[in-house]
Amino acid sequence: MAGLVGVALGAGALGAGAPAQAAAGQRVKVTGEVIDSWCYLTEIMYPEGTAHHQCALWCAAGGIPVGILADDGTVYTVLKIEGDSTSNANPKVLEIQSRRVTVEGDLYARDGINYLLIDRVVDDQGIVKLTHDDYGIQPFGE
Amino acid sequence: MRQLTLAAVVAAALLSAGAARAAESWGLPGEEIVRFEAKVVDLLCELTGDCPAQCGAGTRQLGLLKDDGTLVLPLKNQTFFSGAVDELIDFCAQRVVADGLMVTNRGYTIFALQFVKAAPDGKWRRADRFPSKWAKRNGLDPKDKKVKRWFENDPRVEALIARDGKLGLGLEADRKFLEAQ
Repeated sequence: MAGLVGVALGAGALGAGAPAQAAAGQRVKVTGEVIDSWCYLTEIMYPEGTAHHQCALWCAAGGIPVGILADDGTVYTVLKIEGDSTSNANPKVLEIQSRRVTVEGDLYARDGINYLLIDRVVDDQGIVKLTHDDYGIQPFGE
Repeated sequence: MRQLTLAAVVAAALLSAGAARAAESWGLPGEEIVRFEAKVVDLLCELTGDCPAQCGAGTRQLGLLKDDGTLVLPLKNQTFFSGAVDELIDFCAQRVVADGLMVTNRGYTIFALQFVKAAPDGKWRRADRFPSKWAKRNGLDPKDKKVKRWFENDPRVEALIARDGKLGLGLEADRKFLEAQ
């Protein structure tokens, strides 16, 4: 804990808006589909699998936070991937959009949101949820 | 499952364009029109103490930290398929008044930013700066016709779709599917 506080204080001298306190994350292993958080959480269109892949790329490139929809329905918001703290339109995240992955990392739960810092993508099964026959290509049909 | 058409959402967004600086409904499930003061924070910094200069200078997702300690996750701005970082980064570590929709659905509460200003008496901005910033990042004039539908002209997306198709299953899968439509 002393080390963590030291890191926080040191970083605060460099960065703007450093927090008064920062907590340690919880180690987790998560399996699920990489999703576009906005379309999933607002249900403005069908938001999963192949039907939504193109839109999921658009939203990730547009800087909407990317999530992982775990098999138990939990939604994780990705803030870091494999040492890269870019979470605004990160090309690494575009690359795995809509795929079923297993990741390891640290979970920070705050005010009902599950923020996930991914250390490692340990498995990538590719896009396995085939939804386009039922839902077409969302949202414009092409 | 309640589904809304994109057209309805876009129409709501366009209707709000000419309105006074007050958020309007987009017809989303579990939405609530809200206005609140908060500090713009780098989410990763707030959670872990990893705090680069200028909130990561646009590379990181940003949050809105309310006075009661609640950390709000902004997912959306007012333009097509884009988030809130480009709208909030100018206010890094500053207090703002945020106007928009708090949406509680599927067990999560997230925020769509429609207008923002420096607290308490700054000038209101529509949360629509993404396209012009995208144009600048891609070497285009903001008035270029490609900018309005930036998502169909983004080189990163174009490259992935050229390789994997719109379904993500390869170009042959796209061809078969689209021919059958």
